[in-house]
Amino acid sequence: MSTTNAIVLTGVSKSFRKSTIRREHTTLKSELVRWLKRQKRPEAPSSIIPALRNVSLSVPRGRTFGLVGRNGSGKSTLLKLVTGIYTPTSGTVEVHGRISALLELGAGFHPDFSGRENIFVNGIILGMSRREIRGRMEEIIEFSELGDFIDEPVRTYSSGMYARLAFAVATHVDPEILLIDEILSVGDEHFGRKSAAKMEEFRKAGKTILLVTHDLGTLQRRCDQAAWLDAGELKVSGNPVDVVAAYRAAVAEAEVAGLEQHVPRAAVPVQPRSGPPAEPGRRWGSFAAELSGVEIRGRDGPQHVFSADAPFRLLARYRRYGAVEAPQLELSLRTDGGTLVWSTTEKLPDSEAATLTLEMPRLGLGDGNYLVDLSLGNAGGAVYDVHRGLHGFAVRAQDSSGLLAPVHRWSIEPTAG
Amino acid sequence: MIRNLRELWQYRALLWNLTQRELKARYRGSALGFLWTFVNPLLLMAVYGLVFGIIQRSNIPHYTYFIFVGLLPWLWFSTSVGSGASTISDRRDLLTKVRFPAQVLPTTVVATNLVNYLLSLPLMVGLGGLVGIWPDVHALAFPVVLLVQLVFTLGVTFVISALNVRFRDLQHIVANVLTLWFFVTPVLYVPNAVPEPYRRLYLIANPMAVITTSYQGIFYEHRWPHPRGLAVVALGSVVLLAIAARVFERRREEFAELV
Repeated sequence: MSTTNAIVLTGVSKSFRKSTIRREHTTLKSELVRWLKRQKRPEAPSSIIPALRNVSLSVPRGRTFGLVGRNGSGKSTLLKLVTGIYTPTSGTVEVHGRISALLELGAGFHPDFSGRENIFVNGIILGMSRREIRGRMEEIIEFSELGDFIDEPVRTYSSGMYARLAFAVATHVDPEILLIDEILSVGDEHFGRKSAAKMEEFRKAGKTILLVTHDLGTLQRRCDQAAWLDAGELKVSGNPVDVVAAYRAAVAEAEVAGLEQHVPRAAVPVQPRSGPPAEPGRRWGSFAAELSGVEIRGRDGPQHVFSADAPFRLLARYRRYGAVEAPQLELSLRTDGGTLVWSTTEKLPDSEAATLTLEMPRLGLGDGNYLVDLSLGNAGGAVYDVHRGLHGFAVRAQDSSGLLAPVHRWSIEPTAG
Repeated sequence: MIRNLRELWQYRALLWNLTQRELKARYRGSALGFLWTFVNPLLLMAVYGLVFGIIQRSNIPHYTYFIFVGLLPWLWFSTSVGSGASTISDRRDLLTKVRFPAQVLPTTVVATNLVNYLLSLPLMVGLGGLVGIWPDVHALAFPVVLLVQLVFTLGVTFVISALNVRFRDLQHIVANVLTLWFFVTPVLYVPNAVPEPYRRLYLIANPMAVITTSYQGIFYEHRWPHPRGLAVVALGSVVLLAIAARVFERRREEFAELV
């Protein structure tokens, strides 16, 4: 039965026309010119951009539902669909209950009017009646902590005061369903706590809350359920802890991919003679010998996100083309901030080719992003092939911080005091 | 259309507040304040009175008062349409963030200018008194003409403001068309000055001509408005408003996405 759910989305898709997104408007003049020239509208189907793809979601009544995702993943579009500002291209959106959306603070505020006057218009826009606003006026003013400023024009307010007033109005609407788009971080710490308390009050009063946030802590602390949107698709939905874990892993993965974005990974071809093209600042050398097919692996295969305790392997292929004397490989591990963590040098055999493997049974690094630099050369100063900033991985460890995660054990025994 | 109007009724508090605010904002922080309501039409009247009454020597008696009677409702109409054109396309902040019926916005513009018109009526009556023309029993027809103009102005403003979301140059075109429209509306002259063969067409093609002559009949000539002409305009205005409401219905979503 749908009555147990406050919001139900069934197979919702939403697309925008590219011209809409670029905010290109036709003019009568150009339409007229086109008509005179008897041209067709240049509207290819490729100019449709999907913002949400087949999203199904239900928010149970009285629950707090969190929505995470990167910028542009469709979170705000989803909120606007629920509010009714947009209608879905396909699928259905059902909302059961009076809804109040805090998509933007201070919608309709007029700078020349006093705080008190703006409370009226803003409140009406948010769905309150005049009588309701009059009844709650003092409460709203008190919550905003603006004091005598309430009768000054809004343009004289600081941005913090503006946000406080707007939030005060918005939270006094008394909706059954509240939509919030990452605005809990307004104002100073004191007001932030107050806002959080107000949200808690909503929760306790059994209201349904749909919250969009980047703050994973908030999500885990405050939400009963969560969903993760990525590129308009619903990736994971369910328990906030699971959703956050999945989201974290994906973000780390993406960060590593960002670190390595210039690498044609595992695709540096073995070219006789000429060697691969040098990339200034990232890859250089005489290429008399070459490192290729560098790959970072975990226990089961290529991996880029590790826990501190995970096994780590690095694989590379070595090949010699020209005259090479006593080759050696220097490996350096850096943080993405540039701090050297570890460096080691290994002599290579005098053969045409070799497969190199570095193994660490336990990685033992702290939370962060890391880069592996490789330098093929010799003690005499020859430089054959240098890879700098081309290979990276991330460590995600939530229970500790710092660079190192050494093997450790606590033993704590109570003693008679 | 019914739904459209019902939504307006539901949001009447918002409409009222926005109108109030619009009126206050117009005069806030200006030295003359509220008096601006009178200054603008008075200046216009003085200019036209000078050019056509004294330089061109119009033979209409009490010419300045005659101008004023037609000028005030024209200003209501033209200011509404002129500034109403961009009223939806300018309110991105509201339309993309809050759900509310977009027709509130053009209605606010029309309502604001209506209030302005009504507020300047005492000035018109006073001016008539100076030349000895006081309103008589014919003023009873005034609310009817007012209502017809309201529906017509709403219809035009709705259509223009909706189309301007897609065709952004419409507002500039409208500004120019309004200037032209002013001169084909009998504010500065009487319809009889139009050559006979064109007079009928002139009155049929321009609803504002019928409305303006109705006002002039009531306040200047002391006769009843032409019932058939007014009825035709009234009917046409209702049809226009119905079409405008449909345009709004269809384009509602486009507003949030396009503005």
